[in-house]
Amino acid sequence: MNDYLKLQGILKMFGETCVLDNIDLEIREGELVTLLGPSGCGKSTLLRCIAGLSELDGGRILLENKDLANLPPRKREVGMVFQSYALFPNLTVSQNIEYGMKMRGLSKAARRSRCEELLVLVDLEEKRDVYPQSLSGGQQQRVALARSLAVQPKVLLLDEPLSALDAKIRKNLRAEIRDIQKRFNMTTLFVTHDQEEALILSDRICIMNGGRIVQDGTPEGLYTAPRTEFVARFMGSYNVLTRPEVMALFHGIDSGMDSFAIRPEAVTLLHDGAGQQEAAAGAQLVNGVIKSVSVLGNIIRCTVEAEGIRLTVDLLNDGRWLGAREGDKVTLALNPSELLHLEREGA
Amino acid sequence: MNIRKAGFAPRTFMLMLMVYLLLPLLATGIYAFAQDWQNTLLPQAWTLNWFGEMFKDIRFLEALWTSLYLCLISVVLSLAVMLPAVFVITIYFPRWESFMKVIVVLPYAVPGVVAAVGLIRTYSSGLFDIAGTAYLLVGAYFVVILPYMYQGIRNSLLTVNAVELLHAAELLGARRRTAFMNVILPNIWPGVIVSTLLSFSVLFGEFVLTNMLVGGHIQTIQVYLYQRMGESGHLASAIAISYFLFILVLSMVLMKLGKKMGGGVKG
Repeated sequence: MNDYLKLQGILKMFGETCVLDNIDLEIREGELVTLLGPSGCGKSTLLRCIAGLSELDGGRILLENKDLANLPPRKREVGMVFQSYALFPNLTVSQNIEYGMKMRGLSKAARRSRCEELLVLVDLEEKRDVYPQSLSGGQQQRVALARSLAVQPKVLLLDEPLSALDAKIRKNLRAEIRDIQKRFNMTTLFVTHDQEEALILSDRICIMNGGRIVQDGTPEGLYTAPRTEFVARFMGSYNVLTRPEVMALFHGIDSGMDSFAIRPEAVTLLHDGAGQQEAAAGAQLVNGVIKSVSVLGNIIRCTVEAEGIRLTVDLLNDGRWLGAREGDKVTLALNPSELLHLEREGA
Repeated sequence: MNIRKAGFAPRTFMLMLMVYLLLPLLATGIYAFAQDWQNTLLPQAWTLNWFGEMFKDIRFLEALWTSLYLCLISVVLSLAVMLPAVFVITIYFPRWESFMKVIVVLPYAVPGVVAAVGLIRTYSSGLFDIAGTAYLLVGAYFVVILPYMYQGIRNSLLTVNAVELLHAAELLGARRRTAFMNVILPNIWPGVIVSTLLSFSVLFGEFVLTNMLVGGHIQTIQVYLYQRMGESGHLASAIAISYFLFILVLSMVLMKLGKKMGGGVKG
């Protein structure tokens, strides 16, 4: 494998607490990897360590087999986009974009032409002589993106670049970032706490918790096969079940695990009485009562209580379930093959 | 937005307050222009003599000049020390900030008279025999304006999010010093100017420390005013009014700059 950016045994302490606990990560050229985790899991710190803004307490960072450890940020050839944009308020949009090229001693003509290209790329040609304060958040972040790309970094680091924007702009800019990243084949490390953002953007997702990468894989892989309860809860609204609960619902299991999960869309709901086919297909039928119904658009999310256990069930909003109300009696069809066996945390 | 006008009672109260505050000033102003003012409500004759006399008095101009340059030296010295110091503390050693906050309120905690007596005692013998000299005064002035300079510079740095600006510039290939010069300094400059001017006007109006530390040796404008007060009321009024106008102009410049800053840097 041609590992372009390699992190080996990264260790970072803040006083007594270990913020990054022996992190290993390899990223291929042109790959977009997302660091996903709750706030305080160390994902931003990891990014800052790669950029050289935070010092390491152990481990190595290799970029194209060159150790970055002793290089100051300006020599690392790493670009970074901040949540707060960090545009220079005293410079215009084009001066902001040209800043890095100027620092690297590019000629004025070269700077000008590259700046124009980037302005077209982020669709801000009209705003070249405007100061950042008069731009919207989304526009400011596009300038920040163009500014980092201007110096052609080897790795682009994005530290929650969309978190300060409102939902609609966030979606557009998300697509734009992915588009630009693919076009430049830019090796990118993206930090976010939003699992939807991670699923849509990434080639690969690393889920972090407590300073460690607890699981990494493709978006599909992570979503369909979380290994631990933390990942299951973080990636979706998985129903996490204990061993006794599974025994009650499935009438026996062939596993030594203590913790299990089943996706809300893997549970099928049947109106009382119907459902012989499901039983034939190997599913367990359990009687339950609907406790709550909320329509999320194309999905109807119900909470159903069966055997004293509450399960979240997602139904496709195809018209069949619009009449579902609290207190309705239903039959749950649970397929044992959909049941995931979770490892203990930290294992 | 539609700002509602204040009611009758608050407006009357404000008016009375203004009259209370400005009446002495008005009287001083009239007295400074009065030639003969004995038993009438307003003076019977007006004159510019007192101002003429004031400007003819070489000591007045000298005192004004002395004050100006002492204040200027102190402010420039403070700026030269505090700007890099506060920058380094805010950006690289934020843990020292709690310590700095304590240091910075000390000038408020020690009354001017106490500070003056202590300073004279400490510096009137031994290695630093500088009591009564401009050195001691400049040193004291430095301490007096410490809170204004520290808060002003620190707030400017925090307002422009200096840490991230610096990081962004460094990642784009700038050296720290270059980054400081072309992305930090231009952005904090308005705030720094405001705190510098504020410090200047605080020093220019300070009397207790100045009179006690160097009163017998150096004639600053404050000391001069104090001495002439006993001689002629008219002259003292003229000096007081000029002094007041000078500080007023300074404050207005400050307010203008402050507004410009508020409009320029948005969150």
